[in-house]
Amino acid sequence: MPQAGGPKRERWRPPRGRHRLPPEVIARSQRERLLEAAVRVVAAKGYGATTVADLTREAGISRTTFYAMFADKEACFLAAYDGVVDALVRRITTAYDAEEGWPRRARAGLAALLEALAEEPDVARLALIDVGAAGPAAQRRYRGALQRLTPFFDEGRDFAPGGRNLPANTSRMAIGAVAGLISDELAAGRAKQLSDLLSDVLFATLVPYIGPVAAAREVGATSR
Amino acid sequence: MMKVLRSFPPTWDWPMAGTESRRDLILAAMIRVVGSKGYKETSVADVIEEAGTSRTTFYKHFDDKHECFLAAYDMLVEQVFAEVVANCDSEQPWLERMEKGLTTIVDLFAVDPELARTAIVEVAAAGADARQRHWNAVSRFTEYLEAGRELADGRELPENISLMSAGAVSGLIFDELLAGRAAELPALLPDLLFAMLVPYIGPRAAADEMRRVAQAH
Repeated sequence: MPQAGGPKRERWRPPRGRHRLPPEVIARSQRERLLEAAVRVVAAKGYGATTVADLTREAGISRTTFYAMFADKEACFLAAYDGVVDALVRRITTAYDAEEGWPRRARAGLAALLEALAEEPDVARLALIDVGAAGPAAQRRYRGALQRLTPFFDEGRDFAPGGRNLPANTSRMAIGAVAGLISDELAAGRAKQLSDLLSDVLFATLVPYIGPVAAAREVGATSR
Repeated sequence: MMKVLRSFPPTWDWPMAGTESRRDLILAAMIRVVGSKGYKETSVADVIEEAGTSRTTFYKHFDDKHECFLAAYDMLVEQVFAEVVANCDSEQPWLERMEKGLTTIVDLFAVDPELARTAIVEVAAAGADARQRHWNAVSRFTEYLEAGRELADGRELPENISLMSAGAVSGLIFDELLAGRAAELPALLPDLLFAMLVPYIGPRAAADEMRRVAQAH
């Protein structure tokens, strides 16, 4: 995940003058720099106020290079957004896969998500809140990003007694509940305290599958 | 006539003269235009054209598009809320009231997709204070859910439980609206009811309610 909120790192630039790096390597590094710059700038200024000039300046690339890669600001933002989501999903997956048993796996995945979001509050707000201001395509990307979490939730069907008979939309409901809780914290400026939300988001994940009694029990059991 | 007008037949007062009515006309036009074009693409010119008023009238009432949108959003919330309250009888058991309230919102959204898009989707594009208004509105509705705690037989439910319930419901509605399926929302009512009730009563009882509603509608 790009270091939006952290201290500014030295930006890597290709050596000046004639160099031997193959053109595709240069292009890839320019693209990565641009996407990281897009996350930083949009997180700081908001999508509406961000211009292509801001992006090229922050990334240290030319306008020509920008338009060789992306048709406009929106296309660049969407690619950057996908990068943020990929990084988050990778982190969730790693934590989830390291555990045994669905409630513990869910807890680990959610803890990794909250931790990642708390590390970079600007990126977190970009990923969950400001994305709504970036137009319909971005909103669809946002909902698409949430749907990528479906497999982690759907494992609850095998875990729950009678889980096969639950509505097909059960994972979407649980995801909506979790996203609602996290967005509420972010909107209230409590990004740094997101980890305190772990018990609640775990309860919200488990409850449509196993009900409030078992969910409360599992929240207690997995925290030990 | 206009869709916003049609969706609020019992409560919507539509005065045809005076400055107050012009203001209301502008607010109703704002809701419609934003719902069809999107907040970002909407201009003051679009709104006054839809409302049939002059630029001067618009700026007499509002400083800019944003201020007008916020006022329009407040009006929208009040109207939806009034409709829900009118359809819910406080004497009814909690489960019935929740079903009635949810059905009212879903039906309103289905007959007026533009209002629905403005209320749920486009509000996210209108800045932090608009989103705050959206959350305030959600909290007003979730207060009604709170009584569901009594069904938990004294068991301790998370403090945030009504927010989970609301998040699950609004996530499903958001997806349908984004996909342009507002008219099909009533078909989703059983699932929405399950989503709303399940944190309180668990999947088995929520599935019973879901089946009951699916048969009734």
